[in-house]
Formats: sequence, C-alpha cells, structure tokens
Amino acid sequence: MAALWKGRRRWKTNNYFKVLARSLTGKYEYDYDLVVIGGGSGGLACSKEAAQLGQKVAVLDYVEPSAKGTKWGLGGTCVNVGCIPKKLMHQAALLGTAVKDAKKYGWQIPETLSHDWGTMAGAVQNYVKSLNWGHRVQLNDKKVKYLNMKGSLVDENTVKAFTKAGKETTLTAKNIVIATGGRPKCPTNIPGVEHGITSDDVFWLKNSPGKTYILNVYSSDVGLECAGFLTGIGLDATIMVRSVALRGFDQQMSGLVTDYMEAYGTKFAWKCVPRRIDKLPSGALQVTWTDTQTDSQHQDTYDTVLWAVGRAPETKALGLDKLGVQLNKETGKIIVGADESTSVPNIYAFGDIGEGRPELTPTAIKAGRLLARRLAGQSTQLMNYDNVPTTVFTPLEYACVGLSEEEAERRHGKDGIEVYHAFYKPLEFTVAERDASQCYLKVVCESSGNQKIVGLHFTGPNAGEVTQGFALGFQCGATYSDLLNTVGIHPTCAEEMTKVHITKRSGLDPTVTGC
Amino acid sequence: MALLMQLTHTHASRCGLRLKLFPHIRRTLIRRRSMAEDITRLDFLVIGGGSGGLAGARRAAELGAVTAVVECHKLGGTCVSKPLPHINLGSYFVHCPTAPPGHFIVSLCFINATLKAKRDAYVSNLNRIYRNNLDKSKIQTIQGDAKFTNNPEPTVEVNGKKYTAPHILIATGGRPSALSEEEVPGASLGITSDGFFELESLPKRSVVVGAGYIAVEMAGILSTLGSKTSLLIRQSGVLRNFDSYISTNCTKELQNSGIDLWKNSEVKSVKKTDSGLELAIATKDLEKKNDEEKISTIGQVDCLLWAIGRQPNTSGLNIGGIGLETDERGHIVVDEFQNTSRPGIYAVGDVCGKALLTPVAIAAGRKLAHRLFEGKKDSKLDYSCIPTVVFSHPPIGTVGLTEEEAIQTRGKENVKIYKTSFTPMYHAITSRKSQCIMKLVCVGKEEKVIGLHMQGLGCDEMLQGFAVAIKMGATKSDFDRTVAIHPTSSEEFVTMR
Repeated sequence: MAALWKGRRRWKTNNYFKVLARSLTGKYEYDYDLVVIGGGSGGLACSKEAAQLGQKVAVLDYVEPSAKGTKWGLGGTCVNVGCIPKKLMHQAALLGTAVKDAKKYGWQIPETLSHDWGTMAGAVQNYVKSLNWGHRVQLNDKKVKYLNMKGSLVDENTVKAFTKAGKETTLTAKNIVIATGGRPKCPTNIPGVEHGITSDDVFWLKNSPGKTYILNVYSSDVGLECAGFLTGIGLDATIMVRSVALRGFDQQMSGLVTDYMEAYGTKFAWKCVPRRIDKLPSGALQVTWTDTQTDSQHQDTYDTVLWAVGRAPETKALGLDKLGVQLNKETGKIIVGADESTSVPNIYAFGDIGEGRPELTPTAIKAGRLLARRLAGQSTQLMNYDNVPTTVFTPLEYACVGLSEEEAERRHGKDGIEVYHAFYKPLEFTVAERDASQCYLKVVCESSGNQKIVGLHFTGPNAGEVTQGFALGFQCGATYSDLLNTVGIHPTCAEEMTKVHITKRSGLDPTVTGC
Repeated sequence: MALLMQLTHTHASRCGLRLKLFPHIRRTLIRRRSMAEDITRLDFLVIGGGSGGLAGARRAAELGAVTAVVECHKLGGTCVSKPLPHINLGSYFVHCPTAPPGHFIVSLCFINATLKAKRDAYVSNLNRIYRNNLDKSKIQTIQGDAKFTNNPEPTVEVNGKKYTAPHILIATGGRPSALSEEEVPGASLGITSDGFFELESLPKRSVVVGAGYIAVEMAGILSTLGSKTSLLIRQSGVLRNFDSYISTNCTKELQNSGIDLWKNSEVKSVKKTDSGLELAIATKDLEKKNDEEKISTIGQVDCLLWAIGRQPNTSGLNIGGIGLETDERGHIVVDEFQNTSRPGIYAVGDVCGKALLTPVAIAAGRKLAHRLFEGKKDSKLDYSCIPTVVFSHPPIGTVGLTEEEAIQTRGKENVKIYKTSFTPMYHAITSRKSQCIMKLVCVGKEEKVIGLHMQGLGCDEMLQGFAVAIKMGATKSDFDRTVAIHPTSSEEFVTMR
C-alpha cells in the first residue's frame, strides 16, 4: 500500500515537473506524438500507420452503452454494430434463399425450413469478439498504446481520459486526432420512443426480434438492410418510409432495390409517419401511425421497434466548445479542411465525425492513414473523396460509383449525358426460376467527346464484388468504349457491363436476350 | 453485220468441232454450266453456328451482307449445349448450403434428374432463341455437314447443295479429345465432357482424368454433389499454365474439399466388371530417380471422365483440299485479322486454338464482320488482357501475364509482385473454410499492372471490372488511389501493401 501511494506521488511529481519544464523552457516534451480519440475504423488505421512511421501513439476507445444497455469492444461501429455483423446477417438471409433455390437444383430439402436466431446471433457475436481481440493484438504488435478510456480535450495538446470507474489520466500530445464517429439517432417527437431499439442493439439481441417495425428516415440504408435480412431469415418486417428510400442515391436504382424487397416479402408503408408507441401488458409494442396520403390513422402490434432515422456525431463529451473547435450548426459534425484540420491547430478530425465526409469505413481508413503520414512529415498527399464506390447490402445488392443519373443530368444537362442500360438475368436465377426483374445496370456517360463514364450503377447478386474493379476503371477515367473493348467473362453477371449498348434515349427494350 | 455473223458462225463451228474431237472438254463445259446454276451465291457464308459463327453472321447481316450459317447440330454450339452454363449452374449452387450461419436440420441429397431436366429445358430455350434471332436477321440456316469442294472458287457443299461467297468463315469449334484403344485399352468405356451433361443420375464413384480447367470443374461438381471422386493428373499440380500461385492453391483446395488427387499418374487400362469399371493406374515415384511406376487399381467406378484436352473440329471439312494451313494439332492458322492462308477464307473461335472462350469468339466474329462489310480495315480483336474464370471451388479469375511469363519477358529486376491471402468473411462462422488468394504482377518503375490472379469466393464476378482497368493500363498507384468497397473480398486488391 505504501509503495502504491509512493508511486502515485512520484507520478504526480513527475507530471508537475514536466508541465513546469514546458512552461519555463518553451520546449515541449509531449507524452505522445499523436493521441487518437476513437478506436474505430479510422482511429485504428491512423494510429497504426503513425506508429509504423516511428511515432509514439496512443489511442483511446470507449463505448458509451446504448439506451438499451448494449455495449461492445474495440473496433468501432463497423466491426461491432455496422458493416461486419450486418453483412453476416445479410449472408444468413441469402443462404435461406439459396436453400429454397436448392430444390430446383435437385437437392431434397424438407418443405418447411426454420431459422434459429440464437445460433446465428451467437456465432456473429463471437466472430465480432474475435475481431475486438484481433485489434487489441494488432495495436500491441504495432506498439500503439491502447486505453479503454473516454477522452476529452483540455487544450490543443492535452487530453483528459476517464475509465468507467472514473479514474483519470492526462495525456499530452503534439497532435490530437478526433475519430469518434457517430451513434444512431432516435426520433425526438414520438411518445414511447424509449421502447424502440437501434442498430446499436439489433446485432446484439440474444433473442429473435420477432415481428419488427422499422422506421426509416433520410438516406438511411441501415433500415433497408435490416428489414432485408430480417425478412430473409423468415421474420415479419415492416419498414415505414416518410418520403423516399435511399435519399441521395440514384432514385431509379433505389426503386429497384425496394421493389425487389417488396416482391420477396418485406412490407413497405410508404409516406407514413409514426405517431406513438405503446407498450401493451403482453410486452408487445403497439405502433400508431398516419398515412400522409390519405390522412388516415392505423395501428398494429409488433415485438420490436427499430429506429433507423440517421446518425449523430459523437461530440458531446469531447469538450470541443471549450476549445473553440467549430461545428456545423445543423449536423453537429466537426468542420474540417481538406487536410482534416479543424479550426484549432494541432487538432484534426476525420471519419464519420467530419462534416461532409462519407460515412464509410474505407474512406475513414484511407483518410486516417494519409493523415498519419502527413503528421509524421512523410507525405503531403490529401485524401481524395471523389469517386467513392459504395454498396448497399439489401437482399438485392446495389453498388455504385460516381454520379446518380439525376445528379449527372443536373450537372451536364439531359443532352449532355448518354445512359446505357440493361436488364439482365443472372444465370443462377434461371434453373431456380427466380424473378430477375430488378437485376439491372446502367452506365451514365458524357454524351460528347470520348463518352467518359460519370456514374456506374449495378443491382444484382454480389454487387460489391462486381463493382470494385469498375470503380478502379472509373478512377482511371474509363470511357464507354473502354468497357466495350474489354472481352467479357462468360458466364457472369459482371460481363453485362462490357456488353451494354442500348441507350435510354433510344427507347428500345434494354432486356438482354442471349449472347 | 455479215462479217460479224461470219465470225460468230466460225467460232461456233470451231467450238462444235472441239467438242466432237475432245469429249472430256465437253463434259467439263457442261458441268461448269450446270454448276453455275446449282451454286447459291452469298455475301457471307459461315460454317458453324456456335458463339463465334453466330456473332459474326448476325453482325454481317446487320451490316447488309446476305448471310447463311451452316450447322450440323444445334444452334449455340459448345457454350450453350455443353459445358459452360451447366458448370456454372451446378457449381454456383453447390457451395451454398454447406454449413450456413443459421441452424436447420436437413438431409441434403442431390438428384441429378431434376437438375438435368431443368438444364435441358433452359438449353432448348436458348437454341430456340438463337434460331429466332437468326430468322429475324434474315440469315439462312442450313442444317447439315459442310465440306469444301474442289471448285476453283471456294465452295462449300451441304447435303448435295453448293454454296459460295467471297467471304467464308470457319467457326466449327472443337470437341473433347479422346484416347484410342491402342493408347489405353478400354478407353472408350469412359466419357468426355460432352457425355457428362447427358448423365441421368449422379455417379457414386467417379474418376476424372486431366489437369486442365475442365477436369478441375468437373471433379469439383461431381465431388460436391456427393460422388466419391478421384482426379488423376500426370504431373504434380493442376492448371499448370496458370500462375504458379493459382496452380498450387487450386491443387490444395481440391484436396481439401475431399477429392482424392492422384499425382504423377496415368491410366494404363480400363476394364468392365460386374461392379463397374476397373482402372489400372501407373504412378511415378519422383523420389526414386528411375522410371519405376507403381501400379494401382481403382474399382467399382461408375463414371470415368476423360478431360485431357480439346481438339479442333476440322475433319470432314476438307480444309486440306483447299490448302488451309494448320498447326501440329490441327488448328487452323490465322493472322491477327483472322485471315487463313487462303484469301477469302477466315476462321474464328476454338478452331483456331487460341483463347478458347465464348466472348473471344464472339468479339473476333464481330470484328471480322466490321472489317469485311463496313470497310473498317483495321478491325481486329486485341488478344492481350483477355480475362478468364475457372469455375472451380472456389472460382479462379485471371487476366494478363503470370509471374513466370512476366519475368521471362521483362526480366526479374523489372517485375514487382504484390500478394495476399485471407479467409473471406463468408467463412467467419462456417466450420468449412476456404482461402482467398490474390496476386498482382507489376512491371517497370511506374508499376503497371500486367497480370492479376486470384482464387476465392466471388472471384468470378470480381474480375470483369479489374480487366477493364488493366486493359486501360492501370498502375499499382491507380489501385491504391481507388477507395475500397466494404465489406467485400475485392477491396483487398485496392488495399494491398
């Protein structure tokens, strides 16, 4: 005990002398070259890159439990409550469809097939935990100091951190990076909102969510993806959309995605708004809503209500206002420059927390690595946020890169673009006798010159795998004839992109018929 | 006038005199006249209604050429009727129901007849679609075997009728090679890939012989559908013409999937017994430096599948009679514009022996049509950077040069390799695992990507976009500048270090 007390006093004395030395000599000796607040996709990439470049780095990660008490380990949203568990559950749903197709392929499958949530969720959760562990090991290997503590800014070179139990630590750093990401929002004006869960909770449920109601607002693809896999594993899912689904995405493609989901059993309540949620004595949740088109009121009972109304940046506990770090008034996100700098020198921010940045793991990772290189003086390269490809993992996947058709028209004028398109049928759907009406692709090009591609869109199986290479081509400035000059790979869905030749302008039927 | 009549009269009498004196000339004259009546003249005559022939014919017809296609079997050729769609249908599906994340108790048993019926229906439908397409394009279809005649002008005879055109395209494709009874007694007891798709039921015990992509695909399908399968290869790995990273990995994946792989082995003889076929197999022991072979037997074999290569369909065409140059394996030799050694005669597709792929045949056929009927003198197919996929389990995708080819042509010091391997997330919670391997072959200071090779789940759909970029001349830094799509396997290509 005495030793411990002595040690504590020694630490306090050391720290005092450090601060004193700093103010007397003007020479700064920081604890770290870089402190990163936030151990998600961006924060981890940035800290590991910096350490590899010889910097002394610490990363702070802390998960505030959700309203329902869900919490998780190192890795951030993507690993714990985003991309990873979402894609695995999407995969579970696809397998359910594949097993149904199996009968047509000659497999003897029993008439009724059931899905066990517990088995799936348990396996997914275990995998996520293995990733948490993997990240910790990686940080250790790369000599990044990991602190499971909640950080907040004291000044532009000082961070105060607290453990769950309230124990405090102060760290000084030459540069501080904020990569705290975001958390799901809840609606603010609906009585009974506390009865609902968010994407923070759905992947960690021990029991099946049962009959689920999802409110989908803004550009949320999370809501659609959840509705998709819940339907796919055999649950009754209703998704309520106030105006349009996938706002900001190409609306024709968005329509194909939702048409497919409707055809495969997801219930859509378009142009409706929920009014209240009541918990019934049975434990079930009664949702009351208004159909804005008919102005009529409706009610139904569900086991689970899931809010997918957008995400809010995690800035509350950071102490940003004290330091004068400027935030966007509307979104609350940190205003950042092209080099991820904030309004305060030595403080940087990137990833989901940055205003105007895509909320995507790969851009956070890339931006984080480039920032680390710049801060270590190894590079001046800035992150290029153009040409970012993305995929929505709905039952019919949708991937795209570049402009939507609407945006392309806005920028170039209707006559300034040429849209090549095709409805195709994946070969695998044929024997399975599956409807492929929404399997579609379109290439939006400039109509003049060498017809440079400005947008590329694809719905179909494995859309993400199909599109990555095309995104590379897009990055290289591909034109329509670059697509046509590439020999197709047969038989695949991707080859249709190299064969597309019907324009929207011609009005001809774009359905592919044989070679 | 009188002088003219006198001269004419004299000429006719001279001819008459000649005919009387030399009867064979008379016969020749008469034949030429009657031949001139019997020969149908076209602008474009296509022999072979497969991928290449149909594509060339349709494009030519669109450009205004009077066209006919000669086909001795069903329209669509190998691609439609035989391996490709079926392999994909079979192999795509089979990897899905093994160890899903959810939990269900099901006894999976595969009935080939169901699949065959559906597949046959799909293929018949395609045959019909091709027929309709030809009719719509006003292309005459001639059913029968074609043969070049000895006429001075290139002429083709089908069922006793003759056809000629200033442009004749040979697109007769190929067929599986077979061993003779002299080479391997009992060889004819086995089937080839053509016979594979006629199987009504799944063989209990299969032996596939061959190390090429067809052998790999067939063995994979049979094994995964539940047939106990052995694969016999003459050397130590499959796909020896692919990048060694792929060859090694594919060989390993085959073994991991439960296929009984016999390396350095050849079938010596095949015998029919009451319980099925019995194969005598000779295996070389490479550790012993002599040529000593160990003889083993595999018995009770229901299906012996020879997948030892393909040969061009040229017998019966009489191409020797018209002086077309062929290589040592019988493929028709063509230049970069698909010209054969005889002006006015061209060849595309498998019959040429280069890049035996449907899209290649289609593209070459179309380019030729544009050159012949649209005056595009330079229209030809660029055979570099042709992407290709093998539907193994998991699938393989490859485009450009192998590492070995790159080193040979550019020098080791100019070649930089990037490689990665990982377990795809699909296997995060399955007990069965397969790897995904990826390799980029880069050359020069700017690290231009001249080869891309991969094997793993999704690689079949991944390759196309990368092929576009590589054909455009993408460099490693273009790859690095491209943002990843997450979570996918393909993103590993743009984040390789």
